Amino acid sequence: MEKPDYKPQHKIGKLFLLFAMMGVIALPIIVFKAFSVSTGEALATANKAPSLDFDHNAGQLFGTYNTTTAAYMEGNSTARTLNYYYSLRQYPGSPPFVPHDSVVEKGVEQTCLSCHEKGGFVQAFDRFSPVTPHPQHTYCGQCHMKTVTQDLFRENDWTSVQVPKLGRSALAGSPPPIAHALQMRENCIACHVGPGTVVPIRVEHPMRGNCRQCHVPEETKSLFSRDDRG
Amino acid sequence: MTITRREFIRAMALKSAAVAAATMFPGISFAGWNPTDLPADSIVWSKTPCRFCGTGCGLLVGVSGQRAVAVKGDPNCSVNKGLCCIKGYHSIQILYGKDRFTTAYVRKNGKMVPTPIEEALDIVAEQMKASIEKNGKDSVSIYGSGQWSIPDGYAASKFFKGCIGTNNVEANARLCMASAVTGCLTSFGLDEPMGCYEDIDNADVFITWGNNMAEMHPVLFSRMLANRKSKTDVRIIDLTTRSTRSSLAADKSILFKPQSDLAIANAICYEIVKNNWVNQDFVANHVSFHKGKTNIGYGTEDHFAFSDKAETVDFEAFKIFLADYTPEAAEKISGVSAEDIKYLAALYGDPDKRVTSFWTMGMNQHTRGTWINNLVYNIHLLTGKISTPGNSPFSLTGQPSACGTVREVGTLTHKLPHGVVMNEENRKMAAKIWGVPETNIDPKPTYHTVEMFRALDRGDINFMWIQVTNPMVTMPNLKRYREGAQKDGRFIVVSEIYPTPTSDVADVILPSALWVEREGFFGNSERRTQHNDQLVPKPGEAMCNTWQLIQVARRMGFEKQFPWKEETYIEDIWNEYIKFHDSPKHRMASYKVLKERSGVQWPFVDGKETRWRYNGKYDPACKDDTWDFYGKPDHRAWVWLRPYEPAAESPDTEYPFWLNTGRVLEHWHTGSMTRRIPILHKAVPESYVEINPEDAKILGVVTGSKVKISSRRGAIVMKASINGRGNPPEGMVFVPFFDESYLINEVTLDAFCPISKQPDYKKCAVKLEKV
Repeated sequence: MEKPDYKPQHKIGKLFLLFAMMGVIALPIIVFKAFSVSTGEALATANKAPSLDFDHNAGQLFGTYNTTTAAYMEGNSTARTLNYYYSLRQYPGSPPFVPHDSVVEKGVEQTCLSCHEKGGFVQAFDRFSPVTPHPQHTYCGQCHMKTVTQDLFRENDWTSVQVPKLGRSALAGSPPPIAHALQMRENCIACHVGPGTVVPIRVEHPMRGNCRQCHVPEETKSLFSRDDRG
Repeated sequence: MTITRREFIRAMALKSAAVAAATMFPGISFAGWNPTDLPADSIVWSKTPCRFCGTGCGLLVGVSGQRAVAVKGDPNCSVNKGLCCIKGYHSIQILYGKDRFTTAYVRKNGKMVPTPIEEALDIVAEQMKASIEKNGKDSVSIYGSGQWSIPDGYAASKFFKGCIGTNNVEANARLCMASAVTGCLTSFGLDEPMGCYEDIDNADVFITWGNNMAEMHPVLFSRMLANRKSKTDVRIIDLTTRSTRSSLAADKSILFKPQSDLAIANAICYEIVKNNWVNQDFVANHVSFHKGKTNIGYGTEDHFAFSDKAETVDFEAFKIFLADYTPEAAEKISGVSAEDIKYLAALYGDPDKRVTSFWTMGMNQHTRGTWINNLVYNIHLLTGKISTPGNSPFSLTGQPSACGTVREVGTLTHKLPHGVVMNEENRKMAAKIWGVPETNIDPKPTYHTVEMFRALDRGDINFMWIQVTNPMVTMPNLKRYREGAQKDGRFIVVSEIYPTPTSDVADVILPSALWVEREGFFGNSERRTQHNDQLVPKPGEAMCNTWQLIQVARRMGFEKQFPWKEETYIEDIWNEYIKFHDSPKHRMASYKVLKERSGVQWPFVDGKETRWRYNGKYDPACKDDTWDFYGKPDHRAWVWLRPYEPAAESPDTEYPFWLNTGRVLEHWHTGSMTRRIPILHKAVPESYVEINPEDAKILGVVTGSKVKISSRRGAIVMKASINGRGNPPEGMVFVPFFDESYLINEVTLDAFCPISKQPDYKKCAVKLEKV
């Protein structure tokens, strides 16, 4: 009997080879991806530990430090004063209202963050844009809004405390403590570094990224006491 | 409880220290606030739930001296994890409006005269007694709200239902979430959501039904956005009748015609059945099928009565019922393409996707509110996507304690703190705990809210005590009810903090202590009870609402039922109240635990909160570790066959537009508090009517033009807003209701859901004229 004619089918063979190669290349990528996607988070879930950035969002601070250019850090703009900064607020630490017009009424995501996430010079306002310390919260209109009138519905007797005092070093020349609560304001670089910042709170040594190495929050007013179990 | 002497001395010491150091910033002026001489670090922080919406954010209120001066989000509160919205951050400013009521007023010869509060309370008690003697116990009534702190509502219920013996107890929550209650009761036999806010972190798909969460529940909305940002394929689908901020943030926004959500929900079920996406195991073991009455009316006439009758059917009958709701048929009713309906069904039907549905007023303020609640539950029940993390049909509430005070304490005509007045066992339990004869509690419900105000207008009710709500802005078909309240022979008592259109019609105004000026509890949308201490002193003669009720009850001879001391009455009331809920289905945390923690979810059993009810893995009340819908006698969740029926009033040639009403982010409810917060008023100083650009062109109006909106009931003139924050489709206008200068509720219709008796503020017919 004559043998059947098995002609090698080069075209199909090549196609298979191509697929096989793609598989060889893709497999480690898939495996790698599977294990590399936020290992910390995966571990945290496995260990039932909270995946929070435990130290006052310190990771965010380092991230911002890494992505901020030296030129930006050295920038300076005297257009804004601390007084103006407080005039946008109802008490120290309240969300400031939006003092400019070109706010899209909708107030969701990109429109605000395009200027306030990274900062930079804004031609329309002829000044540098201040940077938000919490760009992870993207629904800006939840807390920040434009005012359309200065009239009141009824008078209000509202008062609040003095603004926090600056430069209260414990010793002459020692680093001053952090004068405000860190919540929502953990990212020091956003407000204390760069040309968008307010001069009196601008640091002279922005290149040292680990701010809280020397500046610590003042969590309590009382001194250490062995009796204090509270 | 009050500020102690020690705390006062400490505050004064801080103050004098501050004066010495207050010259650090000479010449600085603060446009935002008027700084006192107290330094920034004199602040003492204390926890409290927020005063505004039903989200129940934990706040830390900063007190310096004796004033609240700052707010932070409470990082220990799992609701908001340290984030607030603009109202929360400025909430403490509501304490300091210059026109606060700090003394009582009594109407004498037509004029409101300042009166010592004890004398005013005497007058209230005398008027109540006189009315009961002359016209019987059902001639007096109390109308509160979901802003009542839990002890307020509890004292009101005990006083009126237990002591006086009338079921004339209602609350603004009837206008707000009654359909959510009847929805839960008809589908599950017990009230309140089975899930919790952790569903937001776990879901893959969010479908919001007529719900502008970006403005109404912004903190939960942000939590949803954060979930989407942290994962690769989380989708938010906005099902809506008007484009809003939420539509912009959603992955897909689907516009539907008012009332047609009924058809859409049924069509989704049709597709789920047709494509074999039904979770057969779940349905076979945990679901039963039922049908009720149809063509059930709209309640626009006085004395309207309706009671539903359930008939048990089977899955086959359900399939036959669904045959009317092919996606193509639903498209004709709803204007939503069959393709989009199939897309929604595919999301719900995908076994690998965890789906959470959210709704609030869009589904509740609906003449078929109970039905649409049932229908969305149907979808989750068919697919078994319920009571597991991320799978949640979730009804959100609008008021801070709508759940805590109205739904749990039961400040509605038919309710008791446990169960209903119609049930003998429930009456016995209440009589025993309250220390009243069982015969005191009337087994027959009287009036739901709309009917109660109709009764006031007719003269069947002569005396009404209104606490913490503003019905003269919020009642639909308002003109009738305002004129009714002002008729001769009506006596209206209003417990309030600021002058409002409701206090304008009062015969006695009692000044109330507000929020952190007294101790209390709220209960939020996810079954979380939250305690607050008194943090600042009460202004003038202002008095806690609970204490006002206790004072009047004692004057009427009920000292035995209201024996508590002023120092501890909130704690005493809590201890008495939780006796009503002492079972694994509803056990509540102790006073001590609530005081320590930033909220505790019930059922709180063996020191553990229950995150997901009806699922044995999480809920100790279930009989084993699978689902157990123990609220129903058959231990099954009920799927209801509820058809599409049209709205009570639809646009026609004479009145060609739909009128939709609602809220804005900046103002809460009728704005009597938020409008006194400078920054919020400056942002949204007045109400407006949103008109579609095409309609505006035809009318010849631009933003700011005056437009007259009229219905068969009334008319108002207000400014137009085109392409503003929201954008209604052609043929619809939208008006926020917070502004007492533009009472849009004179235009709305008092039609309601016959089952829940909740009015529909989202749909009536109006015409527009350029002024």
